[in-house]
Amino acid sequence: MKSFDQESVTSVILKSGVLLSLFLIVLGTLMIFIMKHADNLTLSQIADIYSTTIINSSQISLGDLLSGSLSLDGIYLISLGLWVLIFTPISVVFVGIIDFELQKNYRYVIMALVVLFNLFFAMLVIG
Amino acid sequence: MLTEIQAILEFFYIFVAGIFAGLLGAMTGLGGGTVLVPVLTIFFQIPLIFAIGASLISTIATSAGSASAYTKQKIANVKIGIGLEMSTTAGAIVGTLTLAYFNGHDLLWAIYILFGVVLLFSLIPSVKKTLAELPPPMDGDWTTRFFQLHGSYYDQRLKKTVDYNGIRWWAGEIVMFFAGFISGLLGIGSGALKVLGMDWAMNLPMKVTTTTSNFMIGITAATGSSIYWHLGYIQPFIAAATAIGVLLGAFLGAKLLVKITNSNIRWLFFSILSFLGVEMILEGLNANHSVIIPSIVMVFISIGSSVMVIVLLWFYVRKLRKDVLRRTRSEGK
Repeated sequence: MKSFDQESVTSVILKSGVLLSLFLIVLGTLMIFIMKHADNLTLSQIADIYSTTIINSSQISLGDLLSGSLSLDGIYLISLGLWVLIFTPISVVFVGIIDFELQKNYRYVIMALVVLFNLFFAMLVIG
Repeated sequence: MLTEIQAILEFFYIFVAGIFAGLLGAMTGLGGGTVLVPVLTIFFQIPLIFAIGASLISTIATSAGSASAYTKQKIANVKIGIGLEMSTTAGAIVGTLTLAYFNGHDLLWAIYILFGVVLLFSLIPSVKKTLAELPPPMDGDWTTRFFQLHGSYYDQRLKKTVDYNGIRWWAGEIVMFFAGFISGLLGIGSGALKVLGMDWAMNLPMKVTTTTSNFMIGITAATGSSIYWHLGYIQPFIAAATAIGVLLGAFLGAKLLVKITNSNIRWLFFSILSFLGVEMILEGLNANHSVIIPSIVMVFISIGSSVMVIVLLWFYVRKLRKDVLRRTRSEGK
């Protein structure tokens, strides 16, 4: 028995996730160009696409994503947007788990949990 | 030092490259990343790891964008997709760590070569996809029952409901691990390999295969991207420009694709892709200093070999088409 329409919920989540992340990325880009600096870097440093050391994702602290974005820092807004993008497909797996659970399809609940385990292993353990 | 105007222009150029990649990726069904990495490295000389990082992130955007439309039409099989994601996510982790190893040991030239080879081989299933015929119906095996691989969808072109049975689940999982590995290693969605897994290994109809793979690409890419983030492979300025550009390009590509009735136009796109594939291989050989080829000679070699690739592919499709015709005729008798 299907108690909710998994496909429609999935579709709405995917669309809203992409739109939200797009909004944050565009806003972040505009802030960088307007303020001409972000995260203690000048515009020309941020736009230096040839150096792998001046700015890259490993230097952006994930703990500061929210506070940085709330102070409208361009780099943090873009980063938050990128992380919303990363979490968008992951949320589909969550919806899948709820749906399989409601259908008492435990075989697939376990498989979806394995997928989630891999995802969080990648994020937390390796990171 | 870049002036303000130069920085804005640079952002704009990368954004346009993203649109081009998204457009071409959607038209050929290969996805934006496969086009984006060669364009960013060859034409912009952006460091390979940044190109790969930006590409994988953009892949999530296009996958989620198009999957939202497909899942609504209920063609994509979310259940089969999530089951196969066990392998692709595991493969993505191994692939990403392999890239980190290559990057740490001055072996990035090999990634260029591998990228070119994968791009060229991806053309085969993509070209085949243009035929889009239904697989011969097969009885299910034990995995069909155990993993519930049956499904149905309404085919608008054939105007009927198509029932299907997926088989050889284990073979699908093996191909998917490899697809995930390539995705993490090269920063692409590796949709062509995913299609191969579901079409060839599991005997699923092409419509189900392509739409399900589209939705899976996002989850695989999310796994790889989160490791890329910690490794420092994502440059926010580049990633921002490409994410917006590729998404826009893919959106336009999907709209245009419906309007293009002449399938021959796709051969033009395939030839651009094979050009980029050969360029990447030569770029890798150059970076390895095994051969030093002046860039103008490189362009000529690439054009020459991509013409050859396209001619071979064209004959391959003609043969496939003849086989399909013969089969439908003998079925009609």
